[in-house]
Amino acid sequence: MLSARAIERTLVALATSLVVLGGCNAALEAPFAAAHPDDETPRRGGTLHLASIADIATLDPPIASDMFTSSVIRLVYAGLVDFDRNGNVVPDLASRVDEVDDGLAYRFTLRQGVRFHDGAELTASDVKRSIERALSPTTPSPTASFYQSIEGYDAYASKKTPHLEGVEVEGRYLVLIRLHERDSTFLPALAMAALRVTCPSAGESYSPSLSACGAGPFRVMPGGWERGRTLTLVRNESYFRPGLPYLDAVTWQLNASNPASQAFKFSRGEIDVVRDLSQTDTIRYEGDPRWKSFVALEPVHGMQGDSMNTEIPPFDNVEVRRAVAAAIDRDHIVMLKSSNLTAVTKPVPPGMPGYDPHFEGQRYDYAAALAHMKKAGYPFDPATGQGGWPAPIVYDLARPSLQELTAMSMQQDLAKIGLRVQLRISSLPTLYSLTHRRGKSQMSPQGWEEDFPDPSNFLEPLFSSKSIGEEDTLNYAFYRNAAVDDALARARSERDPAARARLYEQTERVICDEAPWAFEFAYRFFQAHQPYVRNLHGHPVWIADVTDVWLDRERDAVARKEAPLLRALSAGLGVAR
Amino acid sequence: MTSRWRGSRAARAGLSIVVALAVFATIGPLVAPHDAFTSDFTNGVSPLHTPIGPSRHFWLGADRIYRDEFARLAVGARLSLAIGMLATLLATAIGATVGVVSGWFEGSEGTRIPWSIGIGSLGAVVLALAGHGGWAVLAIAIGLAVRVTGELARIEPLKRGPRVNVDMLLMRMVDVGLAFPFLLLVMAISAALDHTTATTVVLVLGATGWLGTARVLRAKTMQVRSLDFVLAARALGRSTPGILLRHVLPNVSGVLAIAATISVAQMILAESILGYLGVGIAPPAPTWGRMLYEGQDYYLAGPWLVAAPATAIIAAVLGFHLLGEGLKDALGARD
Amino acid sequence: MIRRALSRMAWALAVVWAVVTITFFVNEVIPSDPARMVAGPQARPQEVARIREQLGLDRPVAARYAIFAVRLVHFGTSEIDPKDPKHATCAAFGPVHVDLGRSYVQRRPVVTILAERLPRSALLAAAAVAVQMILGVAFGLFAAARRETVWDMATVAATLVGASIPTFLTGLALQYVFAYRLRWLPFDGYGKTTGAQVTALVLPAVTLGLFGAAFATRLVRDEVSAALALDHARTARAKGASRLGVLVRHGLRNALAPVVTVAGIDFGQLVGGAIVVETLFRWPGLGLVSVSALLDRDGPLIMGTVLVTSIAVVVANLVVDLGYVWLDPRVRV
Repeated sequence: MLSARAIERTLVALATSLVVLGGCNAALEAPFAAAHPDDETPRRGGTLHLASIADIATLDPPIASDMFTSSVIRLVYAGLVDFDRNGNVVPDLASRVDEVDDGLAYRFTLRQGVRFHDGAELTASDVKRSIERALSPTTPSPTASFYQSIEGYDAYASKKTPHLEGVEVEGRYLVLIRLHERDSTFLPALAMAALRVTCPSAGESYSPSLSACGAGPFRVMPGGWERGRTLTLVRNESYFRPGLPYLDAVTWQLNASNPASQAFKFSRGEIDVVRDLSQTDTIRYEGDPRWKSFVALEPVHGMQGDSMNTEIPPFDNVEVRRAVAAAIDRDHIVMLKSSNLTAVTKPVPPGMPGYDPHFEGQRYDYAAALAHMKKAGYPFDPATGQGGWPAPIVYDLARPSLQELTAMSMQQDLAKIGLRVQLRISSLPTLYSLTHRRGKSQMSPQGWEEDFPDPSNFLEPLFSSKSIGEEDTLNYAFYRNAAVDDALARARSERDPAARARLYEQTERVICDEAPWAFEFAYRFFQAHQPYVRNLHGHPVWIADVTDVWLDRERDAVARKEAPLLRALSAGLGVAR
Repeated sequence: MTSRWRGSRAARAGLSIVVALAVFATIGPLVAPHDAFTSDFTNGVSPLHTPIGPSRHFWLGADRIYRDEFARLAVGARLSLAIGMLATLLATAIGATVGVVSGWFEGSEGTRIPWSIGIGSLGAVVLALAGHGGWAVLAIAIGLAVRVTGELARIEPLKRGPRVNVDMLLMRMVDVGLAFPFLLLVMAISAALDHTTATTVVLVLGATGWLGTARVLRAKTMQVRSLDFVLAARALGRSTPGILLRHVLPNVSGVLAIAATISVAQMILAESILGYLGVGIAPPAPTWGRMLYEGQDYYLAGPWLVAAPATAIIAAVLGFHLLGEGLKDALGARD
Repeated sequence: MIRRALSRMAWALAVVWAVVTITFFVNEVIPSDPARMVAGPQARPQEVARIREQLGLDRPVAARYAIFAVRLVHFGTSEIDPKDPKHATCAAFGPVHVDLGRSYVQRRPVVTILAERLPRSALLAAAAVAVQMILGVAFGLFAAARRETVWDMATVAATLVGASIPTFLTGLALQYVFAYRLRWLPFDGYGKTTGAQVTALVLPAVTLGLFGAAFATRLVRDEVSAALALDHARTARAKGASRLGVLVRHGLRNALAPVVTVAGIDFGQLVGGAIVVETLFRWPGLGLVSVSALLDRDGPLIMGTVLVTSIAVVVANLVVDLGYVWLDPRVRV
């Protein structure tokens, strides 16, 4: 009935085919050239095709919580101010911004004749309405407290007043926002997604079924957003900056979680820019001279490290934490995905304003790590394996994540100083419920993605004791240091930039030394684009800054290499329909 | 005669595969040049900062964090075989019990639960949970009242209700088990326990894998109970547990053995799926499913990371399937 | 017969209720924070508290279950007024309303999400089952007709190997060969035009179908062989009927019942359970949405998908059970 030989043969055939198929690598496709590579004049027209691993949660400005969603919202809704390509806050809907009252108020003069996507004219009352809608107590906004320095915020948020007193309409095109205390983070926060201006049809209070309508360079047509699958934005013909945007439309494939799939589509011209490449593809694109001018590493947007709960032993002992910070070999971690990872040794990552190039931060030093363990009272002898901390340390992480790999390198490093780390993997919601609550998680990977480019955004939520909460802490290490709190508070209201910078640098040194976190790496996306995508540039804050991008190719010149089978089938079925 | 000879060929093929795996699992980690848990950042890294492929030092190449794939495969073999067999033990024990009991009591009289009582109790439970204790008691009271009224006034519909016996209840449990979202259960269990270990995986697989065995044994028991010696034992007044243990069980053992062997194959498969989905044993334990999970977004460049565990899984599962085939032919059992 | 059918349906309902209730409470037991999931990891505590209150998560478990149970099926008007807040998340089937609430993350009625996803999962399941049956019957007949020969042995070996390969490996291999190297079929996704959708269906359906085909082939082979060995088949042959004719008329008829049974049950399982294949091929069905709902701890959506999945399994079993009785008069269940 069955011969052992038949089975043998089948298995061998299977194994061989797997190896053979896998062994031959297709060569990297050539880039599709631009039609007029030497001509710098922008051309109008064309659709830009993008893809994203992530999904867009919402198109309602106050609800956005991640950078990708916020970046897309920024294309649809204009705001009073925006970030320019250097990370500075510049007027956008406002034609000028004046700081008055010694920094306690800001006056915004609006451009005149700006039209919403539905045709209505944008005036100061729309600005007030949008701000009140965003900060209303019935709106589930994750970023409302960024604006609590606005006068009357507390009363409005607790429903004591029907309107936000600190936002005043002074004229048809004049808005005054008063703060109850000086706040150097107010303008950057204003440039974020939450307070961008919504159409009158959005109403005054939040409702889940909003149709996206603003005054930004792009608009959403009905049916343009297929949830979880694609999003298409179309040019706003009446955008207030004449001539922009050049593109007819831009579309995203959402939830494109397979890097191989994205690379494949990019090589066939189905998507024009790719930023989620696998390690191997990244190396191939980096090494191919034909692609040299069309690839780039995006700027750093955040940083990652290991947070140690200072309330749970052994991390209540500062020497143990110092040992951990010195025991982790960051070069090894970077080698796990060297094309995208950069080592980070302090809380404010390289490339951020406030980054201090003179201070080294935490350093890999095995001898020093052993010395710290000895000082902590848990000496470890690497030769015999005796000593160290007697109990296993539980490290909570979520999957899927890069930390599933980097944690195993960290695990090996810490074993060498006598700390046995046990990985406890759960899903993201479970991880949040553990790490945000007091006393639940001993050690976990944490990171911070910038909300706006400012050192306070990295230092305050993570290391200020005001950030500690029983159920919802953002200070994951539960770290308390009165000197740090004091310096951060002073820096917030400090108006001299040099003095402010010095305060933050001071804080950084203390934090690196006391090591509530072991800082490890920053992830940078590697982006490749086709040559016919012109003027594509990174942005320190936003992903997909495409308002001034233009396409330079002849119509249908890009050979979409559709398979003959597919074409015949589509044609046949199209006719039949 | 012919079928036995043929059967032994399949059994032999299966057995040789299984034995080869066992040998690999036992001596593999001892023979391997590297430890399965230590990264080698010097020898395991290619000049391009990627894991090296099969070579002199790393027989099956290096994995994503530069550990020895061969050593990991061998340790994984230990884990997979152990989990497969232990989970099968658990599942077969549960499945056999449920199946035999169910098959024995199939078609028996059972008791009748009137609709009124059933709905009344259900309503009471929901209301009690909602915190309305008083209403809950009222619901039960109404149910009882309806039943009693039916009895006294001889109104048939009020007395009616479905007939339930052990078989029906157990088979409904099987239905619930089959309709239940497997993933949710696995995640719930792994979240409730601090650490996903081999034990938790064995428990989960065992607790969810008995359904098929139960059905098969139920069918077989229904066949066996009408055999002569069983009828004789019943006529002689032997106790039910006694009959089940001494007469039924030995006669269903053939089917049980086949089901168990196939079950090992399915357990290994299920464990690899769990590992692949990331809900299996916590890393750095190198189960084959986990190795697939870690290697999959790298497979176009490093196919050995997928080919090695894939071949191992297929071989192991095939081996046990063949063994089961062989047993089936040898015992002459049908379906 | 009718009474039996009714009693079976009642039990089916009880099973679905049990599954849904257990799921509800299991979901509660897992430590998690859906409000945090909606707010994002970097939201301040005040925001999270506010969102938690808005989602109704600060009420006790039992109260939430009671609300869920009561709202699940209730009566109302056949035409739902879109502005009516009480019935905004209901689906109306005549006077009966089904309300599964609003997804925490997508903020849309769960019934809308399910209505989008269910047809696509059903399509994939139907295609997979079709592949399974066609391959199973074809190869099974083939093997039965050529029993004891090399072809038979090869087929059985192939079914054993096929049953030993997990679906994600088959999927990966097929994707690599047909989409990446040969480029005959799309890599993943659903496609926009009908033509593209049909080609996108091929790989996931074949992946799922191959696994089931292994079992179906064995089943057909065994059943047809058994039927062919019976006297009346032999007699027909002796009387001069063609091999194919005998094969089909006597063998296939007997094999059909169990094959259809298995196909029906598989269809029910596949509608909600093809998670791995849906993930691999980005097929926008129930499997994908149930995984993301689980991972996001999106309670209402989890309950919705579990409800639909369990109903699919239970209904498929029911139809198969009752149909079996009708199909094969020899069986009295």
